[in-house]
Amino acid sequence: MPKRTDIHSVLIIGAGPIIIGQACEFDYSGTQACKALKEEGFRVILVNSNPATIMTDPEFADRTYLEPITPECVEKIIVRELAELRRLGVPANEPNGADRPHKLVLLPTLGGQTALNTAMALGRSGVLERHGVEMIGANAAAIERGEDRLVFKELMLSIGLDVPISGVAHTLEESRAIAERIGRFPLIIRPAFTLGGTGGGIAYNREEFEELAKRGLDLSPVSEILIEESLLGWKEFEMEVMRDKADNCVIICSIENFDPMGVHTGDSITVAPIQTLTDKEYQIMRDASFAVIRAVGVETGGSNIQFAVDPATGRMVIIEMNPRVSRSSALASKATGFPIAKIAAKLAVGYLLDEIRNDITRETPASFEPTIDYVVVKVPRFAFEKFPQADPTLNTQMKSVGEAMAIGRTFKESLQKCLRSLEIGRSGLGGDGKPWRVGTEVYGDRDRLPREVISRKLTVPNADRIFFIRHALRAGMSVREIHGLTKIDPWFLTQIEEIVQFEDELAATKA
Amino acid sequence: MNLERLTKAKALGFSDRQIAHLTGLTEAAVQAERRRLGLEPSYRLVDTCAAEFEAYTPYYYSTYDRGDDEVNVSERRKVMILGGGPNRIGQGIEFDYCCVHAAFALREDGFETLMVNSNPETVSTDYDTSDRLFFEPLTLEDVLHIYQRERCWGAIAQFGGQTPLNLALGLQQHGVNIIGTSPQSIEIAEDRKLFAALLRKLGIPQPPNGVATNEIEALAIARGLGYPILVRPSFVLGGRAMQIVYADAELTHYMRFAVEASPERPVLVDKFLEDATEVDVDCISDVGSFDRPDQGHSVIGGILEHIEFAGVHSGDAAMVLPPHTLAESVLDTIRTYTHAMARELRIVGLMNVQYAVKGERVYCLEVNPRASRTVPFVSKAIGVPLAKLAARVMAGRTLGELGFTAEVRTRYWAVKESVFPFNRFHGQDILLSPEMRSTGEVMGIDADLGLAYAKSQMAAGSPLPLRGRVFFSVNDQDKPQVAAVARLFVELGFELVATGGTADVLEAAGLTVQRVFKLLEGRPHAVDLLKNRDLQLVVNTPSGAVPRADEVKIRTTAVYTATPIMTTLSGARAAALGIAALRRNDYAVQTIQEFHQEG
Repeated sequence: MPKRTDIHSVLIIGAGPIIIGQACEFDYSGTQACKALKEEGFRVILVNSNPATIMTDPEFADRTYLEPITPECVEKIIVRELAELRRLGVPANEPNGADRPHKLVLLPTLGGQTALNTAMALGRSGVLERHGVEMIGANAAAIERGEDRLVFKELMLSIGLDVPISGVAHTLEESRAIAERIGRFPLIIRPAFTLGGTGGGIAYNREEFEELAKRGLDLSPVSEILIEESLLGWKEFEMEVMRDKADNCVIICSIENFDPMGVHTGDSITVAPIQTLTDKEYQIMRDASFAVIRAVGVETGGSNIQFAVDPATGRMVIIEMNPRVSRSSALASKATGFPIAKIAAKLAVGYLLDEIRNDITRETPASFEPTIDYVVVKVPRFAFEKFPQADPTLNTQMKSVGEAMAIGRTFKESLQKCLRSLEIGRSGLGGDGKPWRVGTEVYGDRDRLPREVISRKLTVPNADRIFFIRHALRAGMSVREIHGLTKIDPWFLTQIEEIVQFEDELAATKA
Repeated sequence: MNLERLTKAKALGFSDRQIAHLTGLTEAAVQAERRRLGLEPSYRLVDTCAAEFEAYTPYYYSTYDRGDDEVNVSERRKVMILGGGPNRIGQGIEFDYCCVHAAFALREDGFETLMVNSNPETVSTDYDTSDRLFFEPLTLEDVLHIYQRERCWGAIAQFGGQTPLNLALGLQQHGVNIIGTSPQSIEIAEDRKLFAALLRKLGIPQPPNGVATNEIEALAIARGLGYPILVRPSFVLGGRAMQIVYADAELTHYMRFAVEASPERPVLVDKFLEDATEVDVDCISDVGSFDRPDQGHSVIGGILEHIEFAGVHSGDAAMVLPPHTLAESVLDTIRTYTHAMARELRIVGLMNVQYAVKGERVYCLEVNPRASRTVPFVSKAIGVPLAKLAARVMAGRTLGELGFTAEVRTRYWAVKESVFPFNRFHGQDILLSPEMRSTGEVMGIDADLGLAYAKSQMAAGSPLPLRGRVFFSVNDQDKPQVAAVARLFVELGFELVATGGTADVLEAAGLTVQRVFKLLEGRPHAVDLLKNRDLQLVVNTPSGAVPRADEVKIRTTAVYTATPIMTTLSGARAAALGIAALRRNDYAVQTIQEFHQEG
């Protein structure tokens, strides 16, 4: 199936300003989409209020609106552009203009949650229908199925996949009833339709629960929160999937979170490909990913699907899916070399995966699943020093402002490369001569820290936890003990142990 | 050190610096030892297929784990572009924008471009942005390996923010050709003493200042200057630990707990100019490429006037291009000073200057001989790709050849507004300060200044209300001006709500005010009204250095209830202007291509 011939212009919605949870990865995806669609000969119209982006450079789109991304404003743009097309002699969005390119369509899946929410609002208010504007890349029904937590969970159960026990509440009373039903703390609270989980959190007691439920209901644009059984300590995984109109599905990249469930993926150290599953377990997850994208009905484009696995029982549950290009897509693209956003844009205008050539090999089509012979590590970058009054504990609400990625042949090599990429003054995991600050205490680089300090830093997820694994090992804690405190998979801890042991070996050569 | 041990250390990812510290050698000695043993990283491809098929896109990473190497070095003239590393507050997408432009421009000019960066969220790390992509840490060790192995002709360090700039001198000492403005000029701009000498020579005023390496020195300087003062560590971006200090006790606390001052990393102490208007200037120059400094050009890209008064970090301040309140004579002084500094520093590429204007007097606050955060904004506003031009100038072209020799003066307005992550950090006060805390920015562009401002607020997610109630609570310094600003809102049909002191002032000026309780006085108080969505706009200015707890509560509640809030009177004035414009006529949209065409 070649590209569609009825489309004349594509309106792309960008992500707007950089905020926590929606950073420059959407400049990357929007820029790729603009380039890909221009290459295909479409007229590209772009709206994005963020002047610091590459995609808003005048040459990346034919028409660039540096205007607010609000439903009202995007409608003004649609009206203006339809008039412009008619002025150019194109029978814009008229039912009988079919023998040549004449449609103005909307591509909302490359500008993060902002673009998706704006497009959905335009759909709900009837604006798209009124102007005959079709949404490409994802249909409204699929987006709703993916984003509405209740609908999504029921859909998952209906195809035989497992999900966390939970309930959806619209009032405080409903929230309390659900908490009763689940019957044990901690409980996870996630507001619906907020960015990067804004307003979510973990409640360990009744008081915290009331507070978080209230805030979540407040912040959700539809006053809806999801209350969920806690999966704290479970292992967390992500799959980047793409699908085309002929139902071809590929996994672009599998990602394992070093930090177990309870820390937002954006705040977790992540590793690609998955390191601690057997091939059989991985294949089960791969099959489940395809089942999810099909059931949700994302016909063309990429999705990100998150899984949790109970290390004790092996029970695998689906956490959520993003029916669009996400932050993880950027990471997956850079980790594999596979340009997800560009391919997503091409799928949206009608191509199939096997019709799109892989630029890197020039031989294989995009329907080949990438294979990687190295290990990629991503470590988030935080800015708590700027917000001294705020709580630096990591939880389900994303707090990091950026990330570094590194590639190496082993997890150990990649991890140390990544830590020295972070721009926090460290040259690796430790042993670089820099002192360590813990509160008001200052310790030497090779000092053994008090166990109670270490335990505290291991138990509660925080920005420096990775370094405290080194301190713990140096203080004589075993991998088993550290696993008990952090629930981080022993495989990762053993790798770090190798680094720490060799650090001692090197130090022993000191004259 | 034996080969086996060193090989294993490198394979485990240890940097030369770690090895040096652990073994008691110097970094240089470790490097020399590795060289002697022939222990260099190999570069392997990210190719989607685990080397099953041939790869055509040179996207590399380094490893010590295997000996074989997949780089074939070409003989073309190569320029390395150093990226900015992970995003953080103070160093974000703006610098990625500049790096990408450098890659595009130099490729057009026939160079082979190499990008080095470690941030996966960026366009610069797309494999088709540069000719060769190295996904690597931005450290001296990692960058030097690539530079030497690829036999580069030059490297660009002034586009990726502070990260590559911090590497520039070290790279130069290892024989790297840092193109553009020389690292020596960069040093003059960053070293307080050299910089002060430069300004004296050019006759440009600077706020009185000093440099302190410890608490006693800082207190002595403060006494000499008189409070308030502005303190900050040297060599940082984003105003990290930058603060306005009003008294000795505060200064002592700052020196003890906020910074680690030392002779190598002194603390800069400036007299703080209260109520001054701050201005940012981005400029491009090729004078350093000529033998004589009077040859060549320096061209101003844009002059941006801050909406908030001095003391708010330029990365956080709202800005207007072109300036909306400054006299033409002041702008001419700014132009003269900027050109003089570009010539004196022999700038090749970009330069950013920050000024404070008090009356007719223009003070230079700082000069950054590099791409600044505002370069993309200015480029979009004026329709000239400054970063691209700068990269070409750095690689040897002149502005004359490139046809950019005159300042662009727009007839429309572009407003930059910042976006903050306060809703993520509960309990954190939202006041703007010299420490940058915004994560992003938006642009509002329109032929009408009020509409441009209104659009910027809409884009930033806090659209201006067209009617309703405005809550005022301002500090004593702002009280003389508050009635005039409140009157603007009354004329637009808003009702006023205020607490004690502010209400007194407004009533004395003949305005009708609904009084509400302060937090501790009784209920309903201001926070109740906010939670009930009874207030549509909040104007709340801070009362001195340590804000009162009830103010903080009002401001944070405004954030959680998504009520637009202005923490400066100048911001409130701009809001009134925006509301007036929106009420006069609805806003229209227009492409930047059209704006640029119309000029």
